[in-house]
Amino acid sequence: MDFIEILMKSVIIGACMGFAVGAGAARMFHAPQAQGMGAFRTLGELNACEGDPIAHFSFGLGFLFNSWASIVGTGAFTQDVVHRIIPNWSAAVLLMRNKNIAETLHNPAKMALTGAVIGAVVIGLMNSTAVAIPPALQLIATKVLVPAANWLINLVMPIVFWMAALDAGRRTGVWGTILGGLSHLVMGNAVPGIVLGILIGKGVDDGGWNHITRILVVAVVLLFVLSGFFREFDIKLLTEFYVDVPDGLKAFHALFKAGA
Amino acid sequence: MIVDNNEDLQTGFWLSEWAFPIFTAFLAAGVFAGTHMYYVYHIGAFNEIAIVAMLEAGLKGGSFGAAAAFGASFLFARILEGPLVGILDIGGSIMTGVGIGIPAIFLSMGITGPLESFPLALLTGAVIGLAIGCIIIIIRKYTVASNESTFGADVMMGAGNASGRYLGPMIVIAAAMASIPVGIGATIGAAVFYAWKKPIAGGAIIGAMILGALFPIMTK
Repeated sequence: MDFIEILMKSVIIGACMGFAVGAGAARMFHAPQAQGMGAFRTLGELNACEGDPIAHFSFGLGFLFNSWASIVGTGAFTQDVVHRIIPNWSAAVLLMRNKNIAETLHNPAKMALTGAVIGAVVIGLMNSTAVAIPPALQLIATKVLVPAANWLINLVMPIVFWMAALDAGRRTGVWGTILGGLSHLVMGNAVPGIVLGILIGKGVDDGGWNHITRILVVAVVLLFVLSGFFREFDIKLLTEFYVDVPDGLKAFHALFKAGA
Repeated sequence: MIVDNNEDLQTGFWLSEWAFPIFTAFLAAGVFAGTHMYYVYHIGAFNEIAIVAMLEAGLKGGSFGAAAAFGASFLFARILEGPLVGILDIGGSIMTGVGIGIPAIFLSMGITGPLESFPLALLTGAVIGLAIGCIIIIIRKYTVASNESTFGADVMMGAGNASGRYLGPMIVIAAAMASIPVGIGATIGAAVFYAWKKPIAGGAIIGAMILGALFPIMTK
């Protein structure tokens, strides 16, 4: 039965993540002596609730409904489950019994174990309710969300990332534009190229041409060459420039097709 | 697991350097298994709708290029940034990098095993997470923080958040194109969520689904 299977898997996933998120959140309070994990905004929000269990609980609850709508409609949790609900509810549970934040919220062991329980319950509940929605509603979700998502990926994201690259300085602008255009030609979407352009441009802006940025450029070139080859971009390119495709190249491509 | 509370916290396991890779392993295992859930049941991916949509585009027969490059470059930038600032951003590194980028790379190479099998998904995620945790601890140990660059992670984060905002209005437009009741529902839902200071995408979806349940979209 699918439902039981989904519930069991979700509980395991939730426990794993809750354990790690709880420990990571508590460790954030000990950074930089200990390496924490989470997010700066999570740290800020945990501090903003000032150790009041009700504040922590209601802060998490506010994001629960949003995440729930998202998972029921689209199957995506949103990052709020990990950034907000699990850390704040773990803090709330611990603080209900002991108001001393040094012994509760800042204690990785207690946060990890509480987080594991909260994670298992929250993820189990949300996933098992999401799967129970009738197929008629799923039709709506696909009719509405798929076109919206396609516009987002094919137009909005390339444009927004492109603008961000142009605004981030001359170097990111040039790299982003060149790699963005190339990436749409080779991979069918400009976003990966623009992202890599920002990565290279900012890396060089901040650190100059050191070995990390050089490796980055080599990796990007390799990525473009390989994905171009496997999408037969070279053959298309030659054809559209009215150049005859050499038989050797065709044979070379055929070599890889046979294996696939 | 029972932990001895007498253990000194500052020197004990829970705050030690070598415990960090264990935590990243647990988190990455959970997130990667979440992507397995999405792959198999179409629920439970741990990311924003806009970012999961990139993976969905690949699953629907398109290209995994966007998801792979977006996720992998985020992972790279965050791994460099994490040890320098003392806090690893799990949104960019684990949820986007391990949850979206690495699965997209696997799928673009035709490797489906780690996403089809739950135990294998947990294991794959754990191994990746362990590796990430170890790399971060090694960078922490052996580099004097000489590299001040975040490799534009802030620029990408800003653009990512900005493009996420576009989704709400686009859902309302798509709903209006699907049918009149669904469009009315999405419009009202978006307005109500905005008034409540919640992201309007969520309200638009709920509104569309409520009205769509009462007046199903006509299929000709």
